[in-house]
Amino acid sequence: MWDDYLFPQSVEEALEMLQAHGGKARIIAGGTDLALQCQRGRNPARVMVDITHIPGLERIEERDGSIYIGARVTHAQVAASPLIRSRAAVLAQACGSVGGPQIRNVGTLVGNVVNALPAADGAIGLFALDAEAEVAERTGRRWTPIADLYAGVGRCTVDSCQAMITQLRFRGLDDGDGSAFERLAKRKALILPILNTGVALWTDDGAVRQARIAIGPVATTPFVATEAAQSLVGRAPGDAEVAEAARLAAETAQPRYSLLRGSAEYRKNMVEVLVRRALTRAVALVSGEEGGNADS
Amino acid sequence: MSTRVLGHNVPKKDAATKVRGSRKFPQDFDMEDQIYAKVVWSEHPHARVRKVDTSRAEALPGVVRVLTAKDVPVNEYGIIIQDQPVLVGVGDKVRWLGDRIAIVVAESEKVAEEARRLVEVEYDQLPVVSDPREAMKPDAPLVHEERGESNVFRHIKIRKGDLEKGFAQADVVVESYYVTPYVEHVYMQPDAGIGYIDEEGRVTVISSAQWPDHDQRQIAPMLDLPQEQIREIVPAIGGAFGGREDMHIQHLLALCAFCVRRPVKMVFDRAEVMTRTGKRHPWYVKYRTGARNDGTLTAVDIEIVSDSGAYASTTVPVLEAGTSFAAGPYVVPNAKVDAYAVYTNNAVTMAMRGFGTTQSAFIYEMQMSKLADALGMDPVELRMKNLFRDGSIALTGHEMPQGVGIREALKQVALAAGWREEDGHWVRPALGRPSAPHKRLGIAVACGLKNVGYSFGSDDKSTVGVQLTLDEAGQIARVTVLSGACDVGMGVQTLLAQIAAEALGVEYDQVRVSLVDTAKVPDSGSCSASRMAWISGNALVQACQEALQKRDQVLLAESGETFVEAEFEFHGRTVYETTPFDADTGLCVPHFAYGYAAHIALVEVDIETGETEVLKFWAAQDVGKSVNPAMIDGQSAGGVHMGVGYALTEEYIQQEGVPKTRYLADYYIPTVMDMPHEFRSVTVEVPDPTGPYGAKGIGEMTTLPTAPAILSAIHDAVGVWIDQFPATAERVWWAMQGKK
Amino acid sequence: MPTLSMILNGRDVSVEVDPGDLLVHVLRDKLGLIGTKVACGEGECGACTVLVDGITVTSCIYPALKAQGREVITIEGLAEGGQLHPIQQAFVDVTAPQCGYCIPGMILSAKALLDQNPHPARDEIKEGISGNICRCTGYYQIVEAIELAAQRMAEEGGAE
Repeated sequence: MWDDYLFPQSVEEALEMLQAHGGKARIIAGGTDLALQCQRGRNPARVMVDITHIPGLERIEERDGSIYIGARVTHAQVAASPLIRSRAAVLAQACGSVGGPQIRNVGTLVGNVVNALPAADGAIGLFALDAEAEVAERTGRRWTPIADLYAGVGRCTVDSCQAMITQLRFRGLDDGDGSAFERLAKRKALILPILNTGVALWTDDGAVRQARIAIGPVATTPFVATEAAQSLVGRAPGDAEVAEAARLAAETAQPRYSLLRGSAEYRKNMVEVLVRRALTRAVALVSGEEGGNADS
Repeated sequence: MSTRVLGHNVPKKDAATKVRGSRKFPQDFDMEDQIYAKVVWSEHPHARVRKVDTSRAEALPGVVRVLTAKDVPVNEYGIIIQDQPVLVGVGDKVRWLGDRIAIVVAESEKVAEEARRLVEVEYDQLPVVSDPREAMKPDAPLVHEERGESNVFRHIKIRKGDLEKGFAQADVVVESYYVTPYVEHVYMQPDAGIGYIDEEGRVTVISSAQWPDHDQRQIAPMLDLPQEQIREIVPAIGGAFGGREDMHIQHLLALCAFCVRRPVKMVFDRAEVMTRTGKRHPWYVKYRTGARNDGTLTAVDIEIVSDSGAYASTTVPVLEAGTSFAAGPYVVPNAKVDAYAVYTNNAVTMAMRGFGTTQSAFIYEMQMSKLADALGMDPVELRMKNLFRDGSIALTGHEMPQGVGIREALKQVALAAGWREEDGHWVRPALGRPSAPHKRLGIAVACGLKNVGYSFGSDDKSTVGVQLTLDEAGQIARVTVLSGACDVGMGVQTLLAQIAAEALGVEYDQVRVSLVDTAKVPDSGSCSASRMAWISGNALVQACQEALQKRDQVLLAESGETFVEAEFEFHGRTVYETTPFDADTGLCVPHFAYGYAAHIALVEVDIETGETEVLKFWAAQDVGKSVNPAMIDGQSAGGVHMGVGYALTEEYIQQEGVPKTRYLADYYIPTVMDMPHEFRSVTVEVPDPTGPYGAKGIGEMTTLPTAPAILSAIHDAVGVWIDQFPATAERVWWAMQGKK
Repeated sequence: MPTLSMILNGRDVSVEVDPGDLLVHVLRDKLGLIGTKVACGEGECGACTVLVDGITVTSCIYPALKAQGREVITIEGLAEGGQLHPIQQAFVDVTAPQCGYCIPGMILSAKALLDQNPHPARDEIKEGISGNICRCTGYYQIVEAIELAAQRMAEEGGAE
């Protein structure tokens, strides 16, 4: 399957290895998607550059008002992190619903993003938080909004044969803010979702200052329901506002018929249901009904 | 009947090796000098093979041989009807994607894998027939033109009483059209094994199987060898559920060994098991039931179309079994049933837990649930009004033999779930409040019955042997049970050890059960039809009695002999004679023994998404005599697991003969999180006077009532009937939209 | 060919591997440890579960070289000589294994769970084995076995 399996000790060394193999080498983190793709002949890379030994990429921490998650961090670590659970509950819940325990133990959140599937739970959490990713290339490093990483189903704008994502960052949620993740799937574990949604509400004195609603898989990339989110800004949301936002989200999301996921009409209806439920839970946190910011 | 060893939990004979991981399954074996094989599968569901070019494959370094049709001495086989080619040759047809063109044998698995991609096959594609109802039409493309002018290869008829009069007497008529789904067995251990020539020159196969002696009987003519020249060894089986009753790999391993004369190992990957091996039959059913206002059934009119896929496999006995139970465990005086077995280019359909009676249980129980609803009658009450007793006349006109435990099973499960008997009526429990405003609770019951053993006049038999080693005092020191019974996981080896200990008056630990090796143990028949306890148990009890007599003779003769053995061939027909369906009326004595089950499901349905959660589940099974309580509970839970999957989550999808469900990631069997939150197994013992110590069987009846109980509970919760299942969230949602 | 060096079931083990080898095949085919089973080869069922540095991984999609320098435990590493590990004994005593193919993976998931959480609630046990598929048992007796193991191990004074 592979000609070589390498463990760089720094980001620079990883990039050098990629360059040295002229497009035949690529970055691997947990490999829970990649190993299978290579085995099935769907990925031509011959050399794996494994970043899970690189010091510094394993951190989850808060710095300068933002929360940072390194490229080695697994779904299990995100889901269990006290920092993420209290300051980014939507992401903890999202990562906690990926696959099963074994997959979460090895698969990374950054890897979930690079795999670029619209159903990816972790990525939906990041879209809800309006996250950014730091891309490291030979020319240097730059921060890019997460939406810019998606070129289409399974296609990331970062070419893992030439560059790597080193960390994610987003502004966390504070007391008085609220977030939630909802998922609809054909069984309760070890399965991709029919539909998932992550919502985040940043508030000032109980009124929404900023809102984000991310939905997948309803398009070729994770979908951000901007109009629906915008409808919540400026008010202290109650049931009516939540219902309207959910309705708008369903109106603007355009899922198509899928053999795997179901009819367009059912999926559209479920967008309204899931967004309404996620917003209801997020709003309950905003108004303190659920007693603080602990994730549900 | 009180027993010393039976009825108690004992450590399973194989448990220690299984928890250590040391028990070897077929893929865990390696032999010196072994080479590896991979199958070249058909690329089309229906096509004539125009050309097969193996030259590029043969040229690859490390390839030993590429076997094609011309290497098979007699290129046809089949479990009953020999309508299947081993390898499809030039000029012959592939009829589904599970047909095989060639087998590549190479020095390594890697080379074999690469080489199979190099075999070039050219096909002339033929029109695909993928709906059995279309396949029945006179102008449909024929799957087996060599077998006749129709894709319909069996039509079973039952004509009992006076149908018109029966419906005229009915106050209420329920009419439905049901579609039952394909199901994949998902035994966890993929088909695998080694074929080799043993020290006595026999073509030997190490593999998992349910019916090793029948595998021998199919492989021998295929290789044009006498049966004794074929040997099958079954070391451990990682689940079967009917899915290993037909051969998937044994004959291929035998062919490889025969041709190459070296040990050849083959392991299917999960995708091969998923897409190239057999499935449970889907049925398309029209069902009309008539009943009086007081709940008494008056008539049933049923049409069943069974999709046999590309080859017959066991379609006919599955359809026969299912048809014999098409009206369920209920007295119905007037009946018309027509059941059709139809060839298509879909996946071959074969045995799976229930063997047709699972599909039957779904259709007759949904009808009963609908009837109860239409009559405004309690569902337990309605069933009690019509359920069999000893001596009741069944659908096929015979009297039910003694030991009918269905009423007792239903009563016990109903009481366990909170039903009450009040003034001679059954009253359902109050349900409490759902967990959220968008959820609804529902509760429902379903029954099922299954034949134990082979039916319709076949000579079902089992031979079991026993060897006693005596100590100096003439007491039994050690016992070995010799049986061809394959332990697919249910614990038959433990069961036989317990029966032997009971019958011989020794301790369980003194008994060992031999490895299944056709060269060394007798033919105990198939591990299927829930038959092992009843038929091999009976054979073993007789063998033990003979062995004890021989031991007594040894003692009397004071010969100093310390070894005694006996063997007994037990025939089901000595207890009860069965007969085949009458060609015109379908009346017959179909089966010699029965097992019964009754289930109750409490569900909660999300009215916004259509999702169903099973909160509580009660399963009662009448096993005649509980041999090992923990093993019975395990079988009960396992059957319910399959039923939950059947009802809610498992969908095997094919389009025009091409499976869309290809990987385990595509097929959703319940995880631990999907099982009923609370589960209670109730074991009922209404003895079968003909079973060993009164025992019946259990393997299949534990899965029959599950799906109809759950789907009926969905109706109780949200008022919709789901007639084509699984009742996925989307299906339930659409049904609820239809109601609005 | 690169060399994989790991601490396998408590012992230093080095073995030559192909860069593309997956851990399950190194364990089974190169080291003869056949207790780890391949049921799906997709990471979808947990039958191939082993512990790497104490956490569960599906070894059928885990590149072997990822285990470089790490502690790996397979089912063969649980019993001490003739003596079954308490989790294994509990599975036997409750009659949990039926066909047995999922059992090594289940037991290792149970071990990882109890090592982290010696007194798990039933829901936590279910969560702990939610990545392990079984087709025979319906899971109830497996959960019961893990509860029994937790109880016994607590009585003995802690997980091993």
